[in-house]
Amino acid sequence: MFTKEFTKENILKHLQSTNGKLALVTIVVALLLPLVLNDNFMLQVLTLIVIFSIYASSWNLLASSGQGSLGHAAFLGIGGFTSSLLAINLGVPPIIGIFIAGIVSAGIGLLIGITCVRLKAWFLAMVTFGFSVIAETLFSHFDDYTHAVLGFRTPALLFSDRLPFYYFAVLICIISVTLIYVIMKSKMGLAFRAIHQNSVEASMIGINTAKYKLYAFVLSTFFAGLSGAIYAHFMRYISVAVFTADYSFKPLMMSVIGGLGTIGGPIIGSVIMVFIDSMLPNIDGVLQLALSPLFPAVSNVGPSIRLLGLGVFLVIIVIFLPKGVTSLLRKTYQYLRTELEGEKQ
Amino acid sequence: MFITEILCRILAKHTVDTQMIDSTTLILTLMWGAAIGCIYVLLATGLNLIFGVMKLVNFAHGELLMIGAFVSFSVSTSLGLDAYIAVFISMGVVGLIGVAVERLAFRRVLGADKLNEIFVSLGLILIFDNIAVLIWGEKSKRIISPFENMGLQLGDVTISFDWLIAMVFVIAILIGLVFLIKKTKVGMAMRATSQKSQASMLMGINIEHIYIITFALGAALAGAAGSLYGIIFPFNPYIGALPTIKAFAIIILGGLGSIPGAIIGGLLYGIAEQSAVIFLGGIWRDAVAFSLLIIVLILRPTGLFGEKSD
Repeated sequence: MFTKEFTKENILKHLQSTNGKLALVTIVVALLLPLVLNDNFMLQVLTLIVIFSIYASSWNLLASSGQGSLGHAAFLGIGGFTSSLLAINLGVPPIIGIFIAGIVSAGIGLLIGITCVRLKAWFLAMVTFGFSVIAETLFSHFDDYTHAVLGFRTPALLFSDRLPFYYFAVLICIISVTLIYVIMKSKMGLAFRAIHQNSVEASMIGINTAKYKLYAFVLSTFFAGLSGAIYAHFMRYISVAVFTADYSFKPLMMSVIGGLGTIGGPIIGSVIMVFIDSMLPNIDGVLQLALSPLFPAVSNVGPSIRLLGLGVFLVIIVIFLPKGVTSLLRKTYQYLRTELEGEKQ
Repeated sequence: MFITEILCRILAKHTVDTQMIDSTTLILTLMWGAAIGCIYVLLATGLNLIFGVMKLVNFAHGELLMIGAFVSFSVSTSLGLDAYIAVFISMGVVGLIGVAVERLAFRRVLGADKLNEIFVSLGLILIFDNIAVLIWGEKSKRIISPFENMGLQLGDVTISFDWLIAMVFVIAILIGLVFLIKKTKVGMAMRATSQKSQASMLMGINIEHIYIITFALGAALAGAAGSLYGIIFPFNPYIGALPTIKAFAIIILGGLGSIPGAIIGGLLYGIAEQSAVIFLGGIWRDAVAFSLLIIVLILRPTGLFGEKSD
């Protein structure tokens, strides 16, 4: 399916386009950043950005076929638990375990997908959300293995140092995002977009909508499981808290803020969201000093104000920038380019 | 084979002795389920109304329930009003909040991609939750009702007056709603808009007004549900999310746009949830109800009472 479109010249063409150059620049920046920011905390933030880029891209792939999942955390958790439990109980090396986790997650995704392909947007959102609740309950129930809310310490992935782990995560992220790019640019991606636009018309022109929706589900849950496994081995800890709605909504917000249906969107979104999550707690002290007299009911106003801001940001983005921050960047770029070209003439 | 093994292990692990479950527990479970179910019915009806007329999916509906509970709490504690009179004030306030939400947020994404409505709702969930935390704090609260610790004695079982009053309230509100929709001019306009919004616009109906009225009504129902919820259960700013999802599950069980369906779905759901708590243990409460939902959707993708068509 892919061979025809991805010949040698085509790949070169893809690389020489603006997007290709941008991707190369991003990769170079990602590889060089640890040289500048090499303290432990910054490395953790960078690695989280990379892991969540994979996770958000997987959600975005599913959404590009018109299926907005509200329970992607189920697959993140299944991935994380599969790899960690395999490593602890059966001694499977985590480096293999993370791919098994992806495959297990995709298998379960296939089962859920079969249920979901016939459903419309909000029904699907409900079923996926319900599935994440069911998964959380099941994993809490079998606490002999999973230790439910307490969680357990997961083994390291080959190396326990942060720096090699970061480069490993970047490598996996580049491969995953490239694969997702190839999928989105292929005939399959075209079918996804057609289904997203109008599934009735898509089926009229001969697209087997059920089949392609199922493909989207399986591929997306594979990457979600993979990112979950890497996440578990990176945090060195996993508990059933990964199944909570918080983790389901994160990739959604990242994709929407960055730009739905684009390749760069989830990555930009994950940069923004992880930075907000890890950097903004620093301003809590200031907020507390400035605003605590206004809100006597709360002991610490910081987190609520930050989340409130995030909510307002999300609504504003959806209303005024429905294509996300990416579209804003693209518009600015095009504006600057026309301005510069105008000056030359 | 694998599934039966899992089921056996689940049942074996739970320690409730089936011998212990006698008629008292059963009646209490049913009543408790019906009381919770009534609140879900109210929430689900509001959602159903908004969906039916505006074709809008408001995932932040449960946050209106939460706000309703807090408004009712503030009114009854600071003004010293009766908890059941506070229900009406709460309905009014939450209705007004609904108008603001519709005008400022949902109006702008209406008719665009369906996913956008879900995204706006998620933003609203964050906004409402954190505003509530800032104003009322994170601690759990309860509205003290005038019938605290009083109940109807039925043999060994005591059924709290608050549950019964909640049911009466729900029934009265639903009757009022049906009257409004079936008998008044506004209701007729709402039904027309729900069938063909463009045609009703041509007939001289101001559908923007109808949208505002519908959303305000739906929000007011959520406000009432919240006040009743606050009288029966303790609540905090984070209770909104699960009732929303459950109300959706009920709508899906009962079929989109069907009020009787929502009532039956709501009662079924409440009872299923409480039975799961009694027979399987607390952590199974939500999972059992969602399993029920998924099974129904596999068998009938349009819900139990939903129309066959697209």
